[in-house]
Amino acid sequence: MEDDAVFKALSDPSRRLLLDRLFERDGRTLTELDAELEMTRFGVMKHLRVLEEAGLVVSRKQGREKLHFLNPVPIREIHDRWIDKYTERRVSALLDLKNELEESA
Amino acid sequence: MITSTFTETTVQVYQVFIKASAEQVWDAITKPEFTALYFHGARVENTPELHVVHGPDGEDWGDGKTIDFDPPRRLVHDWQSLYDPDLAAEPASRVTWEIEPQDGGVCKLTIVHDRLDASPKTAASVSGAGWMHVLSGVKTLLETGEPLFG
Repeated sequence: MEDDAVFKALSDPSRRLLLDRLFERDGRTLTELDAELEMTRFGVMKHLRVLEEAGLVVSRKQGREKLHFLNPVPIREIHDRWIDKYTERRVSALLDLKNELEESA
Repeated sequence: MITSTFTETTVQVYQVFIKASAEQVWDAITKPEFTALYFHGARVENTPELHVVHGPDGEDWGDGKTIDFDPPRRLVHDWQSLYDPDLAAEPASRVTWEIEPQDGGVCKLTIVHDRLDASPKTAASVSGAGWMHVLSGVKTLLETGEPLFG
């Protein structure tokens, strides 16, 4: 359903960097993220918004602060839907090859 | 280079969009006949007072207080993993389920697992694949009517 948004969000190196930063330490404010990256505050906000729209980042209010959390579920869904599918076929192709070689041996 | 340094945090957030009504999502997370199909076989029963978990063979996998019971929007309960002695020794943490209906017959389901400060082993055991497995399971069950695994 949101595949396009997830792929689009992941296509940008700055957004992947933001996800890596949240992976290292989750639940951060815009100010904390901004301080670590060579990006303008506006740039960080813009990228966080794209990540949020894709469901890769979830923000939650805690007191007066807005914390950003990495949500790994959409990446997992892409893994299940795309990567599993192709690696499975490759594995079965190898198994077919093995069977064929062993039969002709 | 792949870096795998990951500091466990004391708050974990997971979110998924599910094509189902809020009532269906609520039933899937609060009724044992549904949870048995995706929650590692566990029968989870939620009442306004208690959150009780039994393993597939009836073993005691955990129980705790229900903190907030607001069908079909919000469920908050204690979390204690009794299926493992190391985890059972740690203090109870807290799990919040939020169901928010969106446009187009879709609901946003968010799980927040927090109060994990004093329970690092529990935090590590539920993080990443743990809750993701459960969320993918709820989604698959509600969207296809079939359990995700077996």
